Amino acid sequence: MMTANAYELIISILKALNIFEPINNIFQKLGMEYVLKIIIVLVVIAILLVFVLLTVMFLTWLERKVFAVVQSRYGPMVTGPRGLLQPIADGIKLLGKEDIIPATADRWIFTLAPFIVFVSVFLVFIPLPFGKSLIISDLKVGLLYIIAISAVAPISILLAGWASNNKYSLLGAIRAVAQDISYTIPLALAAIAVVVFVGSLSMVDIVNYQGGYWFEIIPKWFIFLQPLGFILFLIAGIAEMGRIPFDFQESEQELVAGFFTEYSGMKFALFFLAEYAHLFAVSGIIVTVFLGGWNGPVLPFLPIQLTSLIYFLIKTYAVIFFTMWLRATVPRMRIDQLLNLGWKIMIPMALLNLLVAAFVMTAGVI
Amino acid sequence: MAWISRNWAMIGIIKGLIVTMKHIFQIGNRKTVTVQYPYERMKMAPRYRGRHAVDEDACIGCGICEVNCPISTIQIVKYDSRWFPEFNLGMCMFCGLCVDACPMNALKMTGDYELADYTRESLIYGPERILFKKEVSK
Repeated sequence: MMTANAYELIISILKALNIFEPINNIFQKLGMEYVLKIIIVLVVIAILLVFVLLTVMFLTWLERKVFAVVQSRYGPMVTGPRGLLQPIADGIKLLGKEDIIPATADRWIFTLAPFIVFVSVFLVFIPLPFGKSLIISDLKVGLLYIIAISAVAPISILLAGWASNNKYSLLGAIRAVAQDISYTIPLALAAIAVVVFVGSLSMVDIVNYQGGYWFEIIPKWFIFLQPLGFILFLIAGIAEMGRIPFDFQESEQELVAGFFTEYSGMKFALFFLAEYAHLFAVSGIIVTVFLGGWNGPVLPFLPIQLTSLIYFLIKTYAVIFFTMWLRATVPRMRIDQLLNLGWKIMIPMALLNLLVAAFVMTAGVI
Repeated sequence: MAWISRNWAMIGIIKGLIVTMKHIFQIGNRKTVTVQYPYERMKMAPRYRGRHAVDEDACIGCGICEVNCPISTIQIVKYDSRWFPEFNLGMCMFCGLCVDACPMNALKMTGDYELADYTRESLIYGPERILFKKEVSK
């Protein structure tokens, strides 16, 4: 039984439980089959939203714990077992805070910006395969779609920085936009080198291509085929997320908090959620494109959807842990170093990588 | 540019990552040093200078501690028909000169450091709060 996406998976589960037909008959008698379809799609989206929000909450906790362990501390310990409920306490605190809009701010844009950030990050998850057939929609242009949607985020950051009418916000926003523009290019070029091999932009095709093994032992992941491309994609991905060593959008020591200096309460929480959702999304993309996605050894006694989800989450959390580990280790670069690295090193290297990939593909070595 | 050409292999970053990884797995002497304060407390050093305590039997109410206090935090007051020192800990700087000067070795400083309070008046520690009885060994 093959299902292409989560919508069909839910229908097949309902059919297996013998409750799809009666429900469908009720809607058919009313002449409204499309209502059932809409309900199922909404359920799928709600599951994704809840999953992402829970993951984000867990990530804020994980980041604090990793930092604490590196610095010989405990981190949050009081709320819940090992402080696991700390994100809930933080959320309740932020809900109770006053929602301040500065007097000279552009009210509409100021209010709109956090929502655009959150929605643009959330939309990245739509073509991202969490497991076999655990995908909202297998777009034929999945990778292009992801890169295009990521390009919306700097616009909303610029909106937030501009509408705050604060010099720190504007400086942070300008830096964020400069950084995003410089690093989207190597990100896209490194991804194109993968697409050259796969011959499709669909994320599911990219994962399926990495399914087999070389010499029965090395998995056919693109990290082994294109190590340079992986390193470029990882660095550009960390820069896209705006994390240390590339967190110029909110460099605390120079610009109070960057583009969300003036935000408080729920709007700040939205920026915070978007930041960690972005971390999860980019890690998921790195895993899907270079680390074999949900591929892994097949376990016979569990459904493939569950095992693939577990493999995907293990790999994603490994990448997330790496970024946290890196954040706890290195200092921030200077803005000129960042742009030098982006334009003078990463883009030529990405072009070289693309050239080699195209040459290997045409020569038919692999 | 020069910075990148010098560090193209990112050896510094890799060394740093190894150091933080040692912290994560607590290799070497890298134990967690945090004390979860309200649930666990540090053991105070034996000569820690905390709140004062006065031996009820030994104190003769001579007032030498009062004279020796550099900022006049001590006052001799009557309590139970005897004279005892009274400490204004809001002013006290815990220098310990009163303990050094006591002729009967009746004054000492305990390891009690949780002295925060709501009013200035409650920071004045009279004899009812600082007296203690030394257990007589037989």
